[in-house]
Amino acid sequence: MRKDLISMEDLEKNEIQEYLTMAEKVEAMPLEERVKLLPGRIMAAMFFEPSTRTRLSFESAMHRLGGSVIGFAAKDATSVAKGESFTDTIHTVESYSDILVIRHPGEGTARLAAQESYLPVINAGDGANQHPTQTLLDLYTIRKDLGKIEGLKVAFVGDLKYSRTVHSLIRALMKFNVTDFTLVAPETLRLPEYFMHSDEPGRFRFHETERIEVAIQECDVLYMTRIQRERFPDLVEYEKVKDSYVLTAEMLSEAKDHLRVLHPLPRVNEIAYDVDNTKFAGYFPQARNGVIMRQAILLKHLGVTL
Amino acid sequence: MKQNEKILHIPKIDLGIVIDHIPAGQGIKILEIISKYEEMKDVVVSLGLNYESAKLGKKDLIKLQMEYLSPEIIQHISIMVPGVTIKAIKNYKVHSKVVVQPPKEIKSLLLCKNPNCITNTEKHVPTLFRTTDAEGKKVKCNYCERIFDLHELETVV
Ligand SMILES: [Zn+2]
Repeated sequence: MRKDLISMEDLEKNEIQEYLTMAEKVEAMPLEERVKLLPGRIMAAMFFEPSTRTRLSFESAMHRLGGSVIGFAAKDATSVAKGESFTDTIHTVESYSDILVIRHPGEGTARLAAQESYLPVINAGDGANQHPTQTLLDLYTIRKDLGKIEGLKVAFVGDLKYSRTVHSLIRALMKFNVTDFTLVAPETLRLPEYFMHSDEPGRFRFHETERIEVAIQECDVLYMTRIQRERFPDLVEYEKVKDSYVLTAEMLSEAKDHLRVLHPLPRVNEIAYDVDNTKFAGYFPQARNGVIMRQAILLKHLGVTL
Repeated sequence: MKQNEKILHIPKIDLGIVIDHIPAGQGIKILEIISKYEEMKDVVVSLGLNYESAKLGKKDLIKLQMEYLSPEIIQHISIMVPGVTIKAIKNYKVHSKVVVQPPKEIKSLLLCKNPNCITNTEKHVPTLFRTTDAEGKKVKCNYCERIFDLHELETVV
């Protein structure tokens, strides 16, 4: 079995399925049973940059399995240990814990930690590179909400150029035989061309549009992302596009009955609050699934089978 | 033996390394690579240009008066000028030879161009790249997972 969880690129489809199955089993377990699974085990949450939601999700996951948590959350990587190299920090913390969860702005950091440490390492985000636990929880949410992944029509809305979450999920969905993607993005934030290439020409269809309405009518999953002001060199350009990517309850009147609206959170203003009360809103359950998936990951990498 | 005599008709050596089947014009490039390595400083090197070659039309050829060429240098050559033949000569005969192909893994040689890559902040970590295409023209950083054209990356030496 794989010691670490570093990158979605490392995982074959069947390995991804193992995580999904594990999460299913975890969810089926009553809370009072779950809390007996990892007594005495310690998770080190090493957050070299702040990411409150991810950290709380991991900590909650561990506590609810009966384990405990140590760690730090730094404003920036250099403040963690003055003058100490990253690898030295890893070797110090590994003697205090059973599993390392690492968030770091430097790309490749989790891979390096995994090579250095005998403990399992879970990547909780390395710069713009990978955030595999997010992708796994997204897949879990989609399968749970829609009963399957294969063959679904999935739309992505917002910043498709820089969003690591979007890139990673698209690649994973392609492994699951999702072939029909709708991409809604302003011209300057389109999905990079190379994501649309595949070894099997014609197998995947990427429909690019600037109109969110098209996606709402046709798709099973509407995956929303933030459009960040910083991404626009020209603020006039930002002002022009920002409101065309705001989803409201009214716009969803044309949606398929089973459409799910997902979002990695936190949202800024791309989903209006009136969407929260519709049957389509899937983003808060998605955050709940995050805890379940992270429990599955912790259990799997600590060698617990269910 | 005819083959060998053809190769060795510039200063004949009983012991040495011959880098053969270098596409014409690339000999200088290999010389540049070799000269970057401290251990090669005192080695006697001869370079022959534009030999007739059945395979290549014209070829360059390099001879080194030394017994053993380090794997680092061979790796470096194989990346920059793939397809050359490296032969070890003993008693005027080819003792062993290898056609070097671009390696699948390139260790401790290339520098990652991504400023945010951990190998650029943790300098003691040796870099590692893997080729992503059959010709070995594209490489992926083991750490930040970015893909680069091989020739846009700088080398540590
Ligand atoms: Zn890199």
